[in-house]
Amino acid sequence: MNRIPLALAALAALLLAPAVRADPLTLRSRGAIYQDDATGALRDPEGVACAEGALWVADTGNARLVKFGLQSGLPVSATVVKHAELQQPTALGVDGKGTVWVLDRKARKIGRVNPDGAFAGWLEVKGVETPAAIVPLAFKVDAAGGVVLLDGPSRKVLVLNPTGLVVRTLPLPPGDFVDVAGEAGGTIYAVDATGSVVWSAEKAATAFKPLTKGMKDVLVFPSSITDTGKGVLVLADKHGHGIVLVGVDGTFQGRQLDMGWNEGVVYYPTQTCLGAGSDLYVADRGNNRVQVFATQR
Amino acid sequence: MISANTILLLALALAAPAPKSTPSTATKAVTGSQAARFKLKPGAAGQVCLECHGDFDQIMKRGFVHTPVKSRDCAGCHNPHASNHAKLLSAEPAQVCHTCHAGVVPANARSTHAPVKEKGCLTCHDAHASANKFVLQKPEKELCASCHKGILEGAAAAKYKHKPLETTGCGACHDPHGSAASDSLLKVAVPALCVNCHKTNTPIFAKQHMNYPVGKSDCTSCHDPHGSSKKGMLLDKVHAPVARMMCTQCHEQPGTPNALAVKQGAPGLCRGCHAQKLNAILEKNRVHQPVLEGKSCLNCHGPHASKRAGLLRGTTISVCGNCHADTIRRNEKAGSKHKPVADGDCSGCHDPHSASGALLLASPDRVQGCGKCHEWTTHSSHPLGAKFVDPRNKNLKMECLSCHRAHGTEFAKLMPYAKQTDMCVKCHESYRR
Repeated sequence: MNRIPLALAALAALLLAPAVRADPLTLRSRGAIYQDDATGALRDPEGVACAEGALWVADTGNARLVKFGLQSGLPVSATVVKHAELQQPTALGVDGKGTVWVLDRKARKIGRVNPDGAFAGWLEVKGVETPAAIVPLAFKVDAAGGVVLLDGPSRKVLVLNPTGLVVRTLPLPPGDFVDVAGEAGGTIYAVDATGSVVWSAEKAATAFKPLTKGMKDVLVFPSSITDTGKGVLVLADKHGHGIVLVGVDGTFQGRQLDMGWNEGVVYYPTQTCLGAGSDLYVADRGNNRVQVFATQR
Repeated sequence: MISANTILLLALALAAPAPKSTPSTATKAVTGSQAARFKLKPGAAGQVCLECHGDFDQIMKRGFVHTPVKSRDCAGCHNPHASNHAKLLSAEPAQVCHTCHAGVVPANARSTHAPVKEKGCLTCHDAHASANKFVLQKPEKELCASCHKGILEGAAAAKYKHKPLETTGCGACHDPHGSAASDSLLKVAVPALCVNCHKTNTPIFAKQHMNYPVGKSDCTSCHDPHGSSKKGMLLDKVHAPVARMMCTQCHEQPGTPNALAVKQGAPGLCRGCHAQKLNAILEKNRVHQPVLEGKSCLNCHGPHASKRAGLLRGTTISVCGNCHADTIRRNEKAGSKHKPVADGDCSGCHDPHSASGALLLASPDRVQGCGKCHEWTTHSSHPLGAKFVDPRNKNLKMECLSCHRAHGTEFAKLMPYAKQTDMCVKCHESYRR
């Protein structure tokens, strides 16, 4: 009979199981980006977006974007992009065509910048009664140009198709929501900063439900969420000065970094993005720089 | 004759285990037989303790004596021989009290009085006897004022007083232990609590409220239930349209189906009068998220009346603390506290609406901001300001926050490290030992 080999196989699988279990993700400092090629030091940079071979930085305090060309994940060139329309660029995103999407806090709109740096206009939301009443507080863009948008006045998350048409609306539960993320399968994530809770709504859901429990003990006041596409959500803990990792199943997967001014520690981090080489870029706002971390398991 | 069946039933009844009694009934049974429990000599029960604790003769003359004391059942709460608990109590104090008073806090309480939760029954009650009803340590109002001094002083000074507070006291509306019905320990939620006395279907009530159907509204959004010096017992600060009885400035006409509905949501409605203020707020680079979100102005301000300037919904620290509880808690727990935070003066450093720089700091120059209170130039020789680069980070200038944390730390001088030298050597590395 085959029972003995089967039992042995099961036993072997059981013994091997801990070895194949994913270790927590850890971050190792690879350096920091302080300025463009010339003398322009970054000031209060709040946004980062990872593009193919490039890193876009929202240099908020200088009212500009800076595109850093990357080699092996580290900057080798810098191009300054400045537009009168973008006075307070904050959160960034890049779609599949390389277009940079910019949330401008002053204009209270989402703008688009072509890969060559030209301003390509504002996002126009369609399919709502009063588009002018929308005040985006956060957003994410996918490869096709679909947008998940957190609207302040209505306290709703709007999902827009690539033409800007609202195709899905999700009311926010009580809490103070600061960022959203969407993953390819249609699940939407939203972060409540004061409750330190990540909420999620699967593709067919009409309401959010808590993905995590309250994480006040490890997450003080998050400012952004990034879906790595690898089963891990990265939360920038702005007031807790760190990075918190959560599985897409809601499990807490560790807290990284600490408060400080030297490289390798952060001070009011705001947004993160994961580069092609698995480097994590952190907009380290309070330190006027962007930090680069290698992700390791 | 006794039948065999009867004998069998009797035997079964005797053999069956005694029914389990609840802790309270069990305890009462035990305390009731103090003499048997401790094998006291005849006549010693209720007397033997007093042979040493003679002061109880006087204690028991007080107006209100705790029942076990009155019945001289000292062993109801104490173990006369030995105990792991202070004062030879037979269990933890709260547990001893709950033996008889288990139901004082409802199981599904929406609000529980902090002393009940945190400090214990003896914060308010005397375990043995008192001159005050319910064996309270002090007369009710005086006792409540130990923590709620501001409310009771305000009530005493108020020109228009609330009768239940004057005659019955705090207990007229509040349950001192906990409430399943409402926040703030209210026996019944507002407005049901208020309409018990204030009938809403009378012509005078309608006239006083401009014929608006406010019977189901939150009375405390306009009125101070503890008394006020404003006519109608309105809260001290009244929104101008309310003071002028111009409800229609914001609400639909009375008598219409949705009379209480507002003509427009905030901030659009607020802009009608506060356009200049709102424009100034929105002009700055960073607008505080509550201004842009949901109820906007009404996230922090009341539309009708308030006890606080600016019609704030609570004290500054409670309003800010709705979202920034972590920051406030940090200062509360800190060994070294920053005074403005401890005083609840968040707006001493931050602009609650908007600012040009990060952290909504009111002063664009952080060093100058701190300089409003700290004359650092007169007592510090450390390089500070835009001319001096932080050795740890070439994109930072030396400022007060380079070494200090503004919301308190567990260490001295608002520093993030236990020893001052630990802080200094972060930059002055050659002095590291």
